[in-house]
Amino acid sequence: MNYGPLLFLAAFFALAGSWFGFVLTPQAQVGRLQTTNMLGGATLYPQARPGLARQGLEVYRANGCADCHSQQVRQSGTVCNAVLSETGTNLPAVLAALLKLKPALSEPDARQWLSTLPRPVLEGLKPAEADAAVKVLNGAGAKAAVWIVPVGPDLARGWGKRRNVARDFIFDYPVALGSQRIGPDLANLSARQPDAGWHLRHLYAPRLEVKDSAMPPYRFLFERRKVERSPSPDAMVLPPGLAPPPGHEIVPKPEALALVAYLLSLRAEAPLFEAPLSVAPGPPAVAPGPTAGATAGAAAGTTSTNTAPTNAPATP
Amino acid sequence: MNFSSSQPPPMPPETAELGAGNMPVPVWLMVLLFVLLYAGMVFFDRYSGWFDAEVYMPYASLADLQAFQPRGGGSSLERGRAVYENICALCHNSDGKGKPGQAPLFVGSEWVMGSPNRMIRIPLSGLSGSVQVNGTEWNLSMPAMGASLSDDDLAAVLTYIRQSWGNKATAITPEQVKAVRAQVGARSQPWTTEQLKAIP
Repeated sequence: MNYGPLLFLAAFFALAGSWFGFVLTPQAQVGRLQTTNMLGGATLYPQARPGLARQGLEVYRANGCADCHSQQVRQSGTVCNAVLSETGTNLPAVLAALLKLKPALSEPDARQWLSTLPRPVLEGLKPAEADAAVKVLNGAGAKAAVWIVPVGPDLARGWGKRRNVARDFIFDYPVALGSQRIGPDLANLSARQPDAGWHLRHLYAPRLEVKDSAMPPYRFLFERRKVERSPSPDAMVLPPGLAPPPGHEIVPKPEALALVAYLLSLRAEAPLFEAPLSVAPGPPAVAPGPTAGATAGAAAGTTSTNTAPTNAPATP
Repeated sequence: MNFSSSQPPPMPPETAELGAGNMPVPVWLMVLLFVLLYAGMVFFDRYSGWFDAEVYMPYASLADLQAFQPRGGGSSLERGRAVYENICALCHNSDGKGKPGQAPLFVGSEWVMGSPNRMIRIPLSGLSGSVQVNGTEWNLSMPAMGASLSDDDLAAVLTYIRQSWGNKATAITPEQVKAVRAQVGARSQPWTTEQLKAIP
């Protein structure tokens, strides 16, 4: 061991270097992220998951859901659309501005075009180009605005409205990011499917709800029991092939209800400074409380607040 | 086959230690290393965002991100609506028609359409006691909101109230709110109708 001190130093710097890069730097970058205001409003984001949903994260983890489902929507770019919302009172000037921006349009077409507002005049612009186009329209007395629209393959699949950022996950431990997409991305699951009953049926028999689903059934999250006196309100309603024999019923165990509460709390669409977008989302997802969750199997639509309409611009 | 009589094949003689000799590191390898290093630095310069916690991949830097922030302009009413729905609508209702026994209406109210200086003071410090709104008498107390709302937010929400549900009054600018806030100072008492009427 003539080189003892040298070997020690080499090992020390190798370990210290990786600790510096993998532990200290990320901690310094995102370790102190906090709840913040959404863009254009006083609402705080993110909110901690409700208790049942927090328990659901443990069920999600224990059943290895993250092995097949990711929770990270990616974004390849951002474009600006110049959206015309009102023509104002000076129609000829607006028409002239519109023809200037869209030379391909003939005048009768342009009049026709103006009858269904709001709609984007130009799409896929750079910020400066969009600002210039909006300035032309506003100069003619119309009401126009720049819309910020994130784009990317994940967003085109309908998996979200913007990319996921570190702030989305500050209340989760561990963060169930996932790395494989054998199933779809779940980062905005509750925005796509806010019905708790759908999720319970899908967990019990995935192909009931999704044709050719590759997901295994999670029937051990449910129990079959004899009907005592009157049937349970959260008994599953199943087709003939799957229904239990008469006098029996299938009800979700507490784990299933917690998992569904967690799935219904998955939503990361709020416009943030680090992930800007112009489409105002609905109210943040609120997982059903214990009472609502217990009756979720029978009553669909208990979480209808999740489907509040967004004021997205109409796309032609 | 007779195994016992066969001899193992002779092994080649081993050298004591394998070595590369004194061959120098090829020049092309050094060049490749420096090219890779340079490419790494260029990539780092372009995409790291200088390790900012708020810069993520489609955006290259803070300046790039700022260019994509939703524009103010026409969306000031949107901002006002967001503040209104969060704070005011609890008592005054989303349609601005108020709630019986909780808060008076805004639609066509002389307090809303009247002097901006009066209107700004009401959310800043609150209002208590008897007040006539559209000929109806209310006797309630409105809490002060001034501490929790910025000048921009207050101006946006007051403009929203003055220009929604058929109301057509002038917009209120953040500068007006700032001026009134400076005049009012650290007032902790809510206003009364008589005090507000004395203000132009």
